[in-house]
Amino acid sequence: MKLLKDKVAKLSFVALLAATSASMLYTPTAAAHGEKSQAAFMRMRTIHWFDLNWSKEEVKVNDTMTLSGKFYVFSGWPETVDKPEVAFLNVGEPGAVFIRQGSWIGGQLVPRSASLELGETYEFKVLLKARRPGDWHIHAMMNVQGGGPIIGPGKWTTITGSMKDFVNPVTTLTGETIDLETYNLENTYFWHALWYALGLAWLAYWVRKPMFIPRSIAIESGKSNTLITATDKKVGMAFTAGTIAIVAMAMASTNEKYPITTPLQAGLLRNMKTFEMPAPTVTVKVEDATYRVPGRAMQMTLKITNNGDSAVRLGEFNTASVRFLDSAVLEDTTGYPDDLLAEDGLTVSDNSPLAPGQTRTVQVTASDAAWEVYRLADLIYDPDSRFAGLLFFFDEAGKRQMVTVDAPLIPVFI
Amino acid sequence: MSASQSAVRSRAEAVKVSRTFDWMILFTLFFVVLGGYHIHYMLTGGDWDFWTDWKDRRLWVTVAPIVSITFPAAVQACLWYRYRLPFGAVVCVLGLLLGEWVNRYLNFWGWTYFPVNFCFPSNLIPGAIVLDGILLLSGSMTLTAVLGGLAWGLLFYPGNWPIIAPLHVPVEYNGMMMTLADLQGYNYVRTGTPEYIRMVEKGTLRTFGKDVAPVSAFFSGFVSIIIYFLWHFFGRWFASTAFVSSENI
Repeated sequence: MKLLKDKVAKLSFVALLAATSASMLYTPTAAAHGEKSQAAFMRMRTIHWFDLNWSKEEVKVNDTMTLSGKFYVFSGWPETVDKPEVAFLNVGEPGAVFIRQGSWIGGQLVPRSASLELGETYEFKVLLKARRPGDWHIHAMMNVQGGGPIIGPGKWTTITGSMKDFVNPVTTLTGETIDLETYNLENTYFWHALWYALGLAWLAYWVRKPMFIPRSIAIESGKSNTLITATDKKVGMAFTAGTIAIVAMAMASTNEKYPITTPLQAGLLRNMKTFEMPAPTVTVKVEDATYRVPGRAMQMTLKITNNGDSAVRLGEFNTASVRFLDSAVLEDTTGYPDDLLAEDGLTVSDNSPLAPGQTRTVQVTASDAAWEVYRLADLIYDPDSRFAGLLFFFDEAGKRQMVTVDAPLIPVFI
Repeated sequence: MSASQSAVRSRAEAVKVSRTFDWMILFTLFFVVLGGYHIHYMLTGGDWDFWTDWKDRRLWVTVAPIVSITFPAAVQACLWYRYRLPFGAVVCVLGLLLGEWVNRYLNFWGWTYFPVNFCFPSNLIPGAIVLDGILLLSGSMTLTAVLGGLAWGLLFYPGNWPIIAPLHVPVEYNGMMMTLADLQGYNYVRTGTPEYIRMVEKGTLRTFGKDVAPVSAFFSGFVSIIIYFLWHFFGRWFASTAFVSSENI
């Protein structure tokens, strides 16, 4: 019996070790950034990304690609998120797989935060240089102070080559060209190693002598004065004075070596250039909107009035970066990510051209698995259950105009 | 052998057991402190210590020493009161830095590919040696708190300057001036660390002009004194032994 017990115990121990090792060694690549778990109302009612373009789907290490497009800062910004008065154009990627060589809003470089206005559209571009090989999901992203990151659409991009070949040359204002990937590394290791060695030396001085039991006994028996010797004090003096001297000398020699240094730079850019979208001639009133939970479809009753001089048709409903298209009006040719594109996801009860001066009430249905996959249906559980999005109308000449919608959403469970 | 008999039979054996016990305690202390201090520092210092573009002359200089003097104060109190051993601060910082380096190398570089020259930890060892030295020389926790706490705050920035100064060399980038550290932060994308969090130099009162770091260091030193007092009480409490009367059991 004992033999059996020992065997079971031994095997259990081996199994535990194997399981622990396996769980430690298995580290799969993080593929996405939790974009689906971001509250639906935040994606629907804050930043609307559109006209996005990833210039390449495959890039070699050291080559560049651009992520460009436009974003509309929603006028019906929710109260639960701070307004984007201080915002930072970012990129969602799993670690520094691309480095950001440049980012622009309205043509202005934005390495710093920018102040954005509600109800305005901005054009943006991010220049990315490939660094780490692999398949990576690259998102547009905006960080908003007091709100957090607001993630835009992402697309799979492949980087080929070897990270060992990656270089990041920079020329400083003192005329030195360095590789920022490895710059200052030896200096960092040197100083940390030196100070760690000095710390170990201090520790070694004390641990070479008996420590806990004899010293505790001495203190208990009132002989604590005998525990610190004159030599100990001399060594302590040497270490203390030596440390201060090394710090002072190292600081002086560093200042001599780097006479020109500047403080870290940070700031806020205001008056960003906006992108002037054509003024819409179509007005839309949302009569009602429901989300049918079993059918994964949102239905809106829209009263559309065409005040322009050309007939228009509804081609796209864009919300939370998911694009619902009526393929009879609009087909995507930009290579937009498949999972965010419902090519026939938009149904309009009457989508015949709406003549100038005419008003029509239509039922618009946006249906696709994306409602569930991207957890937009969770909107009905949000604290402010409203939906919002962009409607794109097209006239006979193919000209596009953008109209925003923002209305309460009623869930239908049966 | 009965319970009243000694476990050792000679002085040599007693010395051997005592030394074995020393190493066991030191080993355990080192790794327990490493874990606890590391978590504490990550939670309270956090990003101010993670990135070169956060190692600024105002808030980093202020925050890092204040939140890092905690464990050294407590462990110093424990080791000094119970054993008259003046290496509490150094053993803490050695543990913290070992943990930090393992973390930065395996996690920051190994998992998320941030270059080590962008995410190395701050150097706390000069302050720790001086803190232990003052305790040894003075034998007083009060003097250690006042002089050592102040020195801890004052030595932090100059102790790190030789490491970070090369990253404060300016560069012109697409028509804007940045430091190399700023450029690292801009190049090596972090999704959850936006630029606006680094805007710390606010306010118009600039009595000392551009010399912000010494003022911050003095302030940090003063607050470190208070934090030292507070945490050394934790150490004393932790090192106390309470006996319960058998009559009360």
